Amino acid sequence: MRLIVREDPAAVGDYIANYIAKRINDFVPTADKPFVLGLPTGSSPIPTYKALIKLVKAEKLTFKHVVTFNMDEYVGIPREHPESYHTFMFREFFSHIDIPPSQVNILDGTVEDLVEECNSYEERIKAYGGIDLFLGGIGEDGHIAFNEPGSSLASRTRIKTLAYDTILANARFFKDDVSAVPRMALTVGVATILDSREVIIAVTGLRKALALSKGIEGGVNHLWTFSALQLHPWALIVVDEDATSELRVKTVKYFKSIERVQDEVERNQAQLKANKILLKQMAELE
Amino acid sequence: MTSPNGLICFTNCLLPHEDGSLVEQDLWIDERRGTILDAQRTFYLRKERPARIVDLKGNILSPGFIDSQINGAYGFDFSVYEDDDSYRQGMKTVAERIVETGVTSLLPTLITQDKALYPKLLSLLRPFSTPTSATLLGWHAEGPFLNNLKRGAHAPPFLLTAPEGTATFEDVYGEPNLVDNEDWLMSGDGHTAGVRMITAAPEIDGVMNAIAELTKRGIVFSIGHSVCSSETATAAVRHGAAMITHLFNAMPQLHHRDPAIIGLLGASPHLSSPLSPLPPHPPRKSTFVSEPGISRPVHHIPTAILTEAGHSEAFDDTATPPLSPFYFGNSLTSPTSNTQSLSDAVAQLTVADKKGSRSELHLEKGQVADMAFVRPYYGLIVDGIHSHPNSVRLAYSAHPDGCIIITDGNSAMKILDPHLRDGVHEWRDGQRFIKDGYKLYLEGTTTLAGSVVTLDTSIRNFSRFTGCSLGEAIKCATYNPAKCLGIEHKKGTLRPGADADLTVLDRRGIVLSTWVRGKEAWVKGA
Repeated sequence: MRLIVREDPAAVGDYIANYIAKRINDFVPTADKPFVLGLPTGSSPIPTYKALIKLVKAEKLTFKHVVTFNMDEYVGIPREHPESYHTFMFREFFSHIDIPPSQVNILDGTVEDLVEECNSYEERIKAYGGIDLFLGGIGEDGHIAFNEPGSSLASRTRIKTLAYDTILANARFFKDDVSAVPRMALTVGVATILDSREVIIAVTGLRKALALSKGIEGGVNHLWTFSALQLHPWALIVVDEDATSELRVKTVKYFKSIERVQDEVERNQAQLKANKILLKQMAELE
Repeated sequence: MTSPNGLICFTNCLLPHEDGSLVEQDLWIDERRGTILDAQRTFYLRKERPARIVDLKGNILSPGFIDSQINGAYGFDFSVYEDDDSYRQGMKTVAERIVETGVTSLLPTLITQDKALYPKLLSLLRPFSTPTSATLLGWHAEGPFLNNLKRGAHAPPFLLTAPEGTATFEDVYGEPNLVDNEDWLMSGDGHTAGVRMITAAPEIDGVMNAIAELTKRGIVFSIGHSVCSSETATAAVRHGAAMITHLFNAMPQLHHRDPAIIGLLGASPHLSSPLSPLPPHPPRKSTFVSEPGISRPVHHIPTAILTEAGHSEAFDDTATPPLSPFYFGNSLTSPTSNTQSLSDAVAQLTVADKKGSRSELHLEKGQVADMAFVRPYYGLIVDGIHSHPNSVRLAYSAHPDGCIIITDGNSAMKILDPHLRDGVHEWRDGQRFIKDGYKLYLEGTTTLAGSVVTLDTSIRNFSRFTGCSLGEAIKCATYNPAKCLGIEHKKGTLRPGADADLTVLDRRGIVLSTWVRGKEAWVKGA
């Protein structure tokens, strides 16, 4: 696991956007071999979406051959509902980029057979050869997607009942009417996320500080489902300074030093590669 | 340039919302069907996204403007008939050229005509548009049921009363032109009657009795060219009158004891409450006198006016109405025969409206007690001449949601082709008018005869006069008139399903381009 610390949420968004852009561009996706990207909703990813939109408008990135899978969606509210995750994704991201609508996948919480919807979602992910990169955020209680405390770390896409706390917290999006807040959601499981080849999590703000500490300094624990990422071979956590408040100084220093060393290594690699090319060119001249 | 899949996305723009706010948002349209799309549904359900993207560079994308009172433009006068062909050509010319002022829908307005001409003109003035033109929505008949005392530029010999109520209206305008037609905007079969609005004075004999029936047929009844009192004006609204024609002009000026027509903007919930200490609609039998062609409540008319001052424009109401407050009127006076109907009509409503009104004092700040009726819309000419900027602001402050900006433009809107020189110009019926800047007078008089400012200029003026935002000013020329006409699902809005009639403005309100039904119809400087 790597931890990257940046000054503020905007800088976190820029870092992740550039990182994802590099991944997609290096992948050189085509219609037959698209890049498969997992996407979250919520406040944490918004700066990332903004930065990605800028890259697309500047023509440094295209989603023409990117397939997306969203993490979750409420059950029982129409897709056009202002608080649905369909609406969120369209408003904050999809309407501003060049992704073809047919390549967008979001769980449908309005269908009759919810179990079938979840199972076929897993099938669709599998059909694309799995997710190349899953972007996520975490809740104050350390949940990832709608996998709230106590969720099985081996869970797959399924129906979840929302925690009472979550319902209360979400009431503000439903005119403070607790009874209007959906009680259930469809969500990818912890294992679905762990299956993806790479995971990036954005964590920003003081209120997420405890969850961050529990997730990366504590052990793997189903009460902080985000901690399961410790078992993932290629996870990247990008946080702002505020979110590090509950971490030990040693932890922060350690990851910052890793980043410095990593930069150094990358620079050297680049230098070597350049030198190699130079030598090769010189050899050809001779 | 068309879009490969027929869908267009306008981006990097501010959209005026129906509440008057300007929101940075994209707009998707279907250029083939000429409608505005629900972008999210198009994306998720149709699985399509626009193949053509129009970057508006931070400018404003407004619903096309609606002018609900326009007598003519570009040298053509809707009230002048020579023959069918030249009339149709004139309609076409106006519709095609007016888009340069951001107007995409208009209500051609006929001033008082020789009775014989109405059926002819009105049958020609059906809803009309060409693929690159604004839509003529039907017609607005201003007259002939007007009060001679406030006739403005209307020809006195043609003014009429309506002794048979609705039947007289049918007789004058021609029955086929007044048929009930609810879905008139969806026409296209050529059989739709084009009546949309009638301006009349409710105190004219028989007019009050026709309001309810006209309203029922989907016609907007607009109070204008009238000297009616507060109670008659209120009764007209209770019968269904939904609009006031060019507020402040051709009506008694605001008097605090009898605020008359203008007072409707401040209609008090107190007076519409059944528990009001004052009778809400006193069954007063007013004294009316009858004179050829006109009936009016004598006690409300300053004698100066009774002597026929000649040009009774807005400036002549100097005398104080003698009766105050009017609610304690002479209820015992016997009515004269020809006003019986008006008084009855007022009295009937006294019973009918005693329901649904919240009359008790309440405790919620910002809430206003319920009204027994909805205050009418009002048209404002915003050229800085027909109404002083202070008056414009006063009206808008009193009733912002009722405000409709109109041009009242006449044929002299050759200036719309903005080069009409100052001086004397030929007008209708052998009359001539004098253009002096933005002012337009009948020759030899001080009677203002319509304005020469375009609607886009009026919107900018309005924003300056009232201090409101450009978005709120735009609302007064888009959503408000559409709602008044009952077409807010199709025109004057950016709702999904509405016609893609669009006007692009820069942030100073200058029109840059105009789109009608999904096609660009005019571009500045092109």
